[in-house]
Amino acid sequence: MSIFIKYYKSGGLNVAFSNKIWRYNSTSADMAINKGEEEEEFRVLDILKKRQRQQRRVNRRADVQPDRADRMPTDQNWGNVWPGPKTFHPSSVPLPLRQGYVPKGQAPPGKKANAELMKIPNFLHLTPPVIKAQCEAIKQFCTEWPKLLNSEEAIENHYPVEIITSDYCHASPSIRNPLARIVTLRVKLSTLKLDQHARDKFIRLVGERYDPETDLVTITADRCPIRKQNQDYVNYLLTACYHESWNFEEWEREKMEEDMEYYNWDKNPSKRSLVNWYLKTQNQSKELSDEEYSNYDVSQIPNGEEYKVAVSSYMNDGESEGTVEKYGEAVRKLLGLPQKKVVS
Amino acid sequence: MNTSALRLVQLQNPLGNLLSPALASQIHTSSPLCRVVSGKYRITKKRDRPLTYEMANPPHYIAHRKSWNSWNTSNLKDGLRRSETAVEDEFIRRFMTGTWHGLVCSEVIIKRQFNHIRVAAIIRRAVSPTKMYFLLGYTEELLANWLQCPVTLEIQTVDSFQDVVFKYI
Repeated sequence: MSIFIKYYKSGGLNVAFSNKIWRYNSTSADMAINKGEEEEEFRVLDILKKRQRQQRRVNRRADVQPDRADRMPTDQNWGNVWPGPKTFHPSSVPLPLRQGYVPKGQAPPGKKANAELMKIPNFLHLTPPVIKAQCEAIKQFCTEWPKLLNSEEAIENHYPVEIITSDYCHASPSIRNPLARIVTLRVKLSTLKLDQHARDKFIRLVGERYDPETDLVTITADRCPIRKQNQDYVNYLLTACYHESWNFEEWEREKMEEDMEYYNWDKNPSKRSLVNWYLKTQNQSKELSDEEYSNYDVSQIPNGEEYKVAVSSYMNDGESEGTVEKYGEAVRKLLGLPQKKVVS
Repeated sequence: MNTSALRLVQLQNPLGNLLSPALASQIHTSSPLCRVVSGKYRITKKRDRPLTYEMANPPHYIAHRKSWNSWNTSNLKDGLRRSETAVEDEFIRRFMTGTWHGLVCSEVIIKRQFNHIRVAAIIRRAVSPTKMYFLLGYTEELLANWLQCPVTLEIQTVDSFQDVVFKYI
């Protein structure tokens, strides 16, 4: 004799279990004996396995918390909500932001699930009150600015030598940048103690590093691998040039008027003829040597200084409308001729 | 075909032997089709292909309608570590899409600040929060070990992919 166990329970969980039992029964049961004795329940062939599939489809969605932004009080401290740089997150920013390009008439995509808002760097951690608070916090580490260095002139006067370097900051694991080694030294030539000869020699030594317009000598070094070495080298170059320009070599005496790099009016025939002309107008006839000519004081001659300046600028700065006009004026004044009439 | 044409040119060129292979390979030989096709999606017959905002705007709209996915200083002029950064970014992207398998709904955004790498993405809420926390720590830890710099994962979650769909074509 065999026992039939019917195992039914509502709910899908035990379906598999009862199936198993049915299978067991069907294999072990003596079919001949059972025939006709009782109405047998047949198993249902569930080809599509609808029941199991339904069972598998469990809604496991954990209930999502409401946005933090919705519960924020209006008088909160924003610096505590967003303390540091961070990618944009819609649930902690209580602003109705939208970003994206859409055809006319549509609203741009909102802040939720918007990758564009996540891409752009935001400054939500640098709001004005936060910056103020941080500045207050680091104030204790600051030192007072020296009172005597209250103007650009004072700074230039006390610290004539400028050292210019660049620091580079980039988004990569390395903090080194080969360009950071370059050191530039800048100094005004007038701040160096040089006489006429030394100044001339210094300008020749530094060559194109001297800018006559701004009177600045700029020395740049990038040959050493480290900034410190370059800085030492730049200082060495300035020192060496300075001392070298004070040296007077024997061969420098051989410099002739033709070798002059600029027009020196005191050593040129222009002065000689001016002096001769002046002496003649004074009815003096003197034979002067070269030395006396060049040392002759032009300020004795009325309008002589102006003439000197005009001729020098004409020869040094090149012929232009301004210099020629100036020269003409100076000559008229010198010879006592009437001024040029401006035709109006 | 293109490469053979290049070889012909090299043979005719008397200086062809002097050209190093590295120099020669810089000549662009791929077909110009790439400009027309790459980064664009075809319209389907049923108009049911979902596109995100990123996909809806073709590459020439970068900096006009959409911005870059990688933010660093290497791709500026005279930037350092250009190739390394590009390879690392590609590695991070692949690692992210593989680790958060089938969950990443947007492009992986990589922003670098000094030696800090911020990885941002939109993630589907298909796994339990516990698993998500695990994956978060796992990704950060492994990437930080490989790249030897701090990595921060900043994810935003959405219910389903439907939330990031911008339009259907």
